[in-house]
Amino acid sequence: MTAKYLFILLSPLLLATGCSKDEAEPPPGDPAKGKALIRDYGCGSCHAIPGIPGADGRTGPSLERIARRVYLAGVLPNTPSDMMRWIRAPEAIDPRTAMPNMGVSESDAHDITAYLYTLK
Amino acid sequence: MNNQGRQDSVQKIRKRIEIHVGLAIAALVVAMGVGAAGFVYWGAYNVSALQQHTEPVFTVLNLALDRSIRQRAEEVEVPKLTPDMAEQGRRLYESRCVQCHGAPGVGRDDVGKGLTPVPPNLAHTAKAKSAAEIFWPIKHGIKMTGMPSWQFKFNDEQIWAIVAFITRLPEMSPADYQTMSASGGQPSRDVTTVSAPAPARTAALPDPERGKLALYGYACIACHRIPGTVGPHADVGPPLKGIGERRYIAGVLLNTFDNMVKWLRHPTEVDPLTAMPDLGVTEQDAMDMAAYLSSLE
Repeated sequence: MTAKYLFILLSPLLLATGCSKDEAEPPPGDPAKGKALIRDYGCGSCHAIPGIPGADGRTGPSLERIARRVYLAGVLPNTPSDMMRWIRAPEAIDPRTAMPNMGVSESDAHDITAYLYTLK
Repeated sequence: MNNQGRQDSVQKIRKRIEIHVGLAIAALVVAMGVGAAGFVYWGAYNVSALQQHTEPVFTVLNLALDRSIRQRAEEVEVPKLTPDMAEQGRRLYESRCVQCHGAPGVGRDDVGKGLTPVPPNLAHTAKAKSAAEIFWPIKHGIKMTGMPSWQFKFNDEQIWAIVAFITRLPEMSPADYQTMSASGGQPSRDVTTVSAPAPARTAALPDPERGKLALYGYACIACHRIPGTVGPHADVGPPLKGIGERRYIAGVLLNTFDNMVKWLRHPTEVDPLTAMPDLGVTEQDAMDMAAYLSSLE
């Protein structure tokens, strides 16, 4: 009985764990298109990506909660514009990276970024 | 037996049950009290900084901390935070904050590595918290953590300057920070030369259990989610779930045991652009950590 009351008393606390900061504006681009593009470019052969069937690669890091990550590839601040730069020309940012340049167009990079930023 | 008599006896039985239940609850409360007192008196709780709280205890304490700060931050009025303030804040940050919190690509000093709770990576904090929620703990400190109150050292204006700098951290690459730090006329700090390595041990076989403790001792948990550890669950660097099976380390180095040891010891030699700082990890500690990490599938 007391445990139940305790739970009822504490449950508002448990609900109040969200972030207090409003999320930054979503980047331009269409997340649904981005999801399809991620499949087309085969990103999942190297990365585990939530929501993409078959994307369970273990060559690079998992993209779980990538929207919350502070650094991209350990070198870039994680902003939408840097995310797009990284997707389009990773070797231009870190010459040592194993991530290949996949020839992603600017509009495709927009959409892919939009999808990745839904992963929180 | 008539109806009245039956009701009487039912009531008597009910009363007896109530008394028994009442006594049982009272006994339980007393036993819990004695148990709690004994738990405290005989020192059952391990206060070692390397023996983190259990996950539920950590979660409740962390929630209490977040809620307490958010509640009090509501009354804080935030001024306009300008680039000039951020530059002034950077200098103050480098004189008083970087020792425990580090900076983009710059490791913390030994004091900041060994603390529990681990001093947070502030780029991560700035992503999740409002300016007022950053200001309040700097001014007031946080009891039972290593965070001092700075209000007798800095005035509000100076604290806001520090906040201005911290709120810019999420958009700053390690290279940006290095440029800023160098042009700001302050000698760049090199932690590896500042911190003396732990006394050398005679080379032993890699010990994954000791490696797991070292992940606390070097504050790795401040930036990475590492299965089997309890901590802030920060996403500064990538989560290390499955790192044992990952093909590359940091996207640049093939994931072998020796390469992992090399990376843990000298990340900036492997990739000069990396935000992962050189933490002065000894060979043995790196081998132990690598042994633990390679077990993560």
